[in-house]
Amino acid sequence: MGEKVYVLGAGSTKYGKLNESIIEIALNASKDAIDSAGITPKDVKAGYISNVFGVADKQVHMAPVIMSNLGIPEVPGLTIESACGSGSVMFREAFANVSAGFYDCVLALGVEKVTHTSTVESTTLFSYCSDFFYEGGNGASFPGLFGSMARAYLATYKATEEDLAKVAVKNHENGLLNPKAHVRKKITVEDVLKSPVVASPLKLYDCCPFSDGASAVILCNEEFAKKSGNPYIEVVGSGRGASPAAVQSRKDITTIPSTVEASRQAYKMAKLSPKDIDFVEVHDCFTIAELIDIEDLGFFPKGTAAEAVREGRTRLNSDITVNPSGGLKSKGHPIGATGVGQVVEVFEQFTNKAGDRTVKDAEIAMTHNFGATGASAAVHIFKKIK
Amino acid sequence: MSKSKSTKQSTREQFIEYAKKGDILVNQCTKCSNIMLETVYYCDKCFSNSFRQVPYTGKGRVVTYTIQSVVPEGFEDINSYAWVIFKLDDCDLNVSGFLPGISTPSDLPLGSKIKVIDFHDKHGLILQKY
Repeated sequence: MGEKVYVLGAGSTKYGKLNESIIEIALNASKDAIDSAGITPKDVKAGYISNVFGVADKQVHMAPVIMSNLGIPEVPGLTIESACGSGSVMFREAFANVSAGFYDCVLALGVEKVTHTSTVESTTLFSYCSDFFYEGGNGASFPGLFGSMARAYLATYKATEEDLAKVAVKNHENGLLNPKAHVRKKITVEDVLKSPVVASPLKLYDCCPFSDGASAVILCNEEFAKKSGNPYIEVVGSGRGASPAAVQSRKDITTIPSTVEASRQAYKMAKLSPKDIDFVEVHDCFTIAELIDIEDLGFFPKGTAAEAVREGRTRLNSDITVNPSGGLKSKGHPIGATGVGQVVEVFEQFTNKAGDRTVKDAEIAMTHNFGATGASAAVHIFKKIK
Repeated sequence: MSKSKSTKQSTREQFIEYAKKGDILVNQCTKCSNIMLETVYYCDKCFSNSFRQVPYTGKGRVVTYTIQSVVPEGFEDINSYAWVIFKLDDCDLNVSGFLPGISTPSDLPLGSKIKVIDFHDKHGLILQKY
């Protein structure tokens, strides 16, 4: 591998319904990250931007607009799209470019604004992220695709709709402790089970919200990090994976191959295993996704995640803390920003900024984020610098 | 310069033509016999791009499905439907499609018999219980 890579600063807007334009949201998070790193824009040698539905707010080719408004129009920017996994896939490209020695310091920014569109519009836009000929074009929404995965999972393993509800309840508990979370509301299993069905067997509270928001981090090499005098964390593992785009083409509908492969690569690079991870931010776009994720990432054997959730083994400061931020379910899902927001959570946890949701004595953390139904995925592992 | 219209059907057009007759058109690799849906360009086992087209009867059994209350644009005019993944009876392939008239899970137990009956521009691969 190349040079060691560090996260030197991080910033995020609140997730939810935001009034500013997509560019203003992006700039607010960028400024917070730049300030957090103790640098100025002139230190940034390149910008990596993740976004999916900029067209919904009349702005594509976003990177040059953002760099121009940061006062660095001469700095090259690149906009990357990989559906809901855009943030982590973009982070991986930023990581690779610093590791390869092309740049000593870069901005990695994810942003999205969708709440000004109607539910039908946003449902339709999301469906374009599927393998449209077989899925969206046959009437499948994203809740529908995950609903079909949930039905297959519940029919295959000892898991129930109540177990799915417990994932939502746990993530809402954590989200209550996160001032930037979109849905800060305590819910019960009964609330989830009584909420309207969105795509059977998934109900409203099994689904993450559509959110606006932006998250940004500053990545740099070792020399830059040490010179800064500011706290930083190390990226010790990085992996990418892919799955057949259409759910129908997967040998097993209850697993996501891209997650398995991305985590295998990240563990190998970090020379670590699942037992070394103190907490993980996973892609819980729907409650079923979290069950599948924590099995695919190696934290629990296949078919046992529901039992682990039932026993409280994934709650804050338990066996493996899953989604201390509240996850997509409570913190929110500003699509292009989500993967970067997970890194912001790790940075805040490891630099004593996570407040009441701090994972005690944590030193190693993982982020996991995928696109669509897991057609693309990236996993990263981070180490606290003492 | 005059424009000439190509008469060669695309892979999707061929898939659709057979679906309209109730069949699923499959590509069988001439090198390793692997079977895939018509729309792939290379074999995912041996990477050959030489295929024999084989139509299979579009009958199968439900593997999984969902019934949605919020649907994408173009599907709002349908009262209730299921989006279904089913396994073909005569080969080891899953296909997904649109099954109207399903309002509750009790209407569609897993393993139910399903067949392709049409392909519409608006709603894609149309299925029917039988």
